[in-house]
Amino acid sequence: MKRNNIITSIFSYAILILVLIVCIFPVVYTVLASFKTNAEILAQPDKLFPTVWSLENYKMAFDSSDFNVGRMLFNSSYYTVLCVCFSIFASTMCAYVFERGEFTGKKVIFTMFSSLMFISLGSITVYPLFDILNIIHLNKSLWGLIVVKMLGIPIVNIYLVKSYIKTLPKELDEAAMMDGCSFIGIFFKVIAPLLKPIVATVALLSFQSSWNEYLMPTIFTMSNPSQRTLMVGVVALKNSGDSAASWNLMLAGATIALVPVLAAYVFFNRYFVSGLTAGAVKG
Amino acid sequence: MKTQAQKRVLSQKASMNLQCYLMISLQLIGFLVITVYPILWAARLAWFSYDGVASNTRFVGWDNFVKIFTQDTTYWKTWLTTLKFAVFKLPIELPLAMFLAVILNKKLKGRGFFRAMFYLPNVIAVAIIGLIFSSMFDYFGIINAWLVKLGIVNESVDWFANTGTAMFVLVAGAVWNTFGLNILYFISAMQNIPEEMYESARLDGASRTVTFFKITLPLMGPVLQTILLLSLVGTLHTNDYVLVMTNGAPRGETFTVMSYIVSKFVPGFADSTANIGYGCALSLVTTAIMASIAIFYNKFSAKLSDMY
Repeated sequence: MKRNNIITSIFSYAILILVLIVCIFPVVYTVLASFKTNAEILAQPDKLFPTVWSLENYKMAFDSSDFNVGRMLFNSSYYTVLCVCFSIFASTMCAYVFERGEFTGKKVIFTMFSSLMFISLGSITVYPLFDILNIIHLNKSLWGLIVVKMLGIPIVNIYLVKSYIKTLPKELDEAAMMDGCSFIGIFFKVIAPLLKPIVATVALLSFQSSWNEYLMPTIFTMSNPSQRTLMVGVVALKNSGDSAASWNLMLAGATIALVPVLAAYVFFNRYFVSGLTAGAVKG
Repeated sequence: MKTQAQKRVLSQKASMNLQCYLMISLQLIGFLVITVYPILWAARLAWFSYDGVASNTRFVGWDNFVKIFTQDTTYWKTWLTTLKFAVFKLPIELPLAMFLAVILNKKLKGRGFFRAMFYLPNVIAVAIIGLIFSSMFDYFGIINAWLVKLGIVNESVDWFANTGTAMFVLVAGAVWNTFGLNILYFISAMQNIPEEMYESARLDGASRTVTFFKITLPLMGPVLQTILLLSLVGTLHTNDYVLVMTNGAPRGETFTVMSYIVSKFVPGFADSTANIGYGCALSLVTTAIMASIAIFYNKFSAKLSDMY
């Protein structure tokens, strides 16, 4: 019986390690290749490790004028920071209103917001969005997209926060109300400070999704290359025609784009996982 | 005559209403302006021929829809590609994830580490995944070099020049990207199964395989349906991943339906002369089909669970 168990364990670990290797190989490959010269990438494709470690690609990426990593990094950063802030504000306030508030039309509005998860016509709707943004002269720029995000309804995050607020005792609100606190006041003074754990989850999930976003930033920055985010720029370089000549730059760009998300994941992995499983399976 | 107290309750109610609406005002505006208006806009334009120049706008009645259903074979081919993609991807990804979830659900040392590492590809951007896989599967890339070295193929494979091999790379990247997420879903579904069930099965001398099929799977039932629906919907909606990875190569044959619409009708990807009206009609039809698939799946899986 015991011997049997050991054999199953060994078998299990063998499979896990095999999958682990396949799983991290593409990432390891990218990071290692970003330290190779382009000549080496093309001439010795079978080598995983660089023969000479060079930082040349990174220097080039930061100096290059048409693939300006510094600029793109800056664009990605402010875009992501603003998106995360909007997402936190919108999801906590909406969740609070829909969980604790009593107002006419609550059910109807919540149902309408929720239906967004299922109704979407896809990217064709950017044309009317452009028309609207044109009115405030933000047509076709990253800032236009930021306005869209500000008005967006992060419905999954709203659900996450809503189910968290549900677990907070209602006596807290009632006591504050007795003390003469308004409904909005209760949110900022009583509820918001208690939301830290779930806000961490929301922040990480929206950090990941806006940092990684490709389609919408591409559409909104198409006539404005200086506003490209890192994802947009890296893919633009790939599609630029002489991609073989710039694998090194692309891989360096990809590594730079990877590091923030991977770092966040390594340090805060608990929040990622709790958000996902709470949202999808139990909620 | 209303009493003082009644009046106070009324004004309190009004103030509550006001405060609630104030807090969700941005999202309410957003709902009307960036969600409802664009949908109505597209629903109206589907009956027009429109290429972005206002003076060229022309009402065409049902023409766009007639064209979709009678002439546009390219569009229906992208549906076929989408279904093919799902049919290749899901039967690899879900059993693999289930198998690993069963292993990781046991009390093994370091299972937290493995779980975290398997989920890692999921936090990486599709743009970067497309880039990494294009580089690895490049004609002069590392995969070809290793395959030749190991003698598995005689000469390098041009992965993106052939529909079958391009599809293979797409499926490989997609499975790599999302299998860890499904492992997490499966594990959290398995953890809701009471330990006593397994203990009594063990006392009855049931083997692991029997335990899995008689206890784990049936008890995961409803959650399993949700996970399947999520994967199916996610796979059918595959969009920017294809744009970045193959951009339809070869000859648009690996376009899924969503990526096809983007590549033909959305600014930044399409020609500026695209008939946006026709694109709106295609989007409407696509959304309707997607919704019917989800509804059909729900009805069908409810029937299935009635039977068993």
